Amino acid sequence: MQASLIEGAAQSTPKKNALRLLLLPLVILAGMGLSVEAGLLGPLGVQVGHLWATLSIFGVGTAILFLLLLFSGPQKGPALTDLPRWQLIGGFLGPMYVVVLTLATPHIGIAMTMIAILSGQVGKSVLIDHFGWFGTARKRVNGERWIALALIVAALVLIARG
Amino acid sequence: MNLILLLVLVIAAGAVLSVQAAINGRLGQAVGVLRSSLLTFAVGAITTALLIFFFEPAQAVSLLEVPKWQLTGALFGVVYMMVMVGAVPIVGTAVATVAVIVGQLGMGMLIDNFGWLGNPAIELSGSRIVAMLCLALALVFMYRSNTRQAD
Repeated sequence: MQASLIEGAAQSTPKKNALRLLLLPLVILAGMGLSVEAGLLGPLGVQVGHLWATLSIFGVGTAILFLLLLFSGPQKGPALTDLPRWQLIGGFLGPMYVVVLTLATPHIGIAMTMIAILSGQVGKSVLIDHFGWFGTARKRVNGERWIALALIVAALVLIARG
Repeated sequence: MNLILLLVLVIAAGAVLSVQAAINGRLGQAVGVLRSSLLTFAVGAITTALLIFFFEPAQAVSLLEVPKWQLTGALFGVVYMMVMVGAVPIVGTAVATVAVIVGQLGMGMLIDNFGWLGNPAIELSGSRIVAMLCLALALVFMYRSNTRQAD
């Protein structure tokens, strides 16, 4: 297939497929956590201000990760300062997302907020896979993926109207 | 605030989030999950602190005065970040994104329906359930298209 030519390096072994299936429920659980986070952030932002609520997320997160890193020993791989600059900009994007969450959830509810978030996410992530932006493996967008995108848009319309 | 403007802002935030997932997936491969997550959170905290210093008006209630459970959001954020950094290189950005969406929407509907965590209650309707099924189906299609391309 043409697709496998484009994929090139990505080999599929039974072991890797099993790992994928194992990872999916974990990723779904992580997504549930995001809704809980948004549910906590909305009321918190109303009380103490949106930026303070955002700082609580990143401040506590930084503290926990620093401790985890400190006690997990030496890390493999190059120093952060040796990496290309653009790989370090992810941190600037996080606060945008969190501030928007605290702003939006009290006005439009958590499910509506998540739906609006996901329409942006899926559109963009299909583009990232399709063009292999930001150094990710390039995956041609095939028919099944367009069906999936259509289903997501249908879900968006359903919840927006219901 | 204008509702349409707010929605556009949230859609843009979703696009930004998937850009971040792609960048962090790559970064995590190079330097490990912990270091890439710490970098993301530390840069996020510093950016937010700078914004607070220069732009945030004084608030009547401080973070130290709210109930402590309201401050636990970061724990979920840390878990999410680490799962994504680990999973994105294996399952692909699109599949990981849709799996997160299924969890997000399911939990979002539960919180809305029961008004958990001090949020206003929004009842679970038939169309919300159908929407959930559409999303589950979308996840199946995304997953199948990914495994087929890898063969």
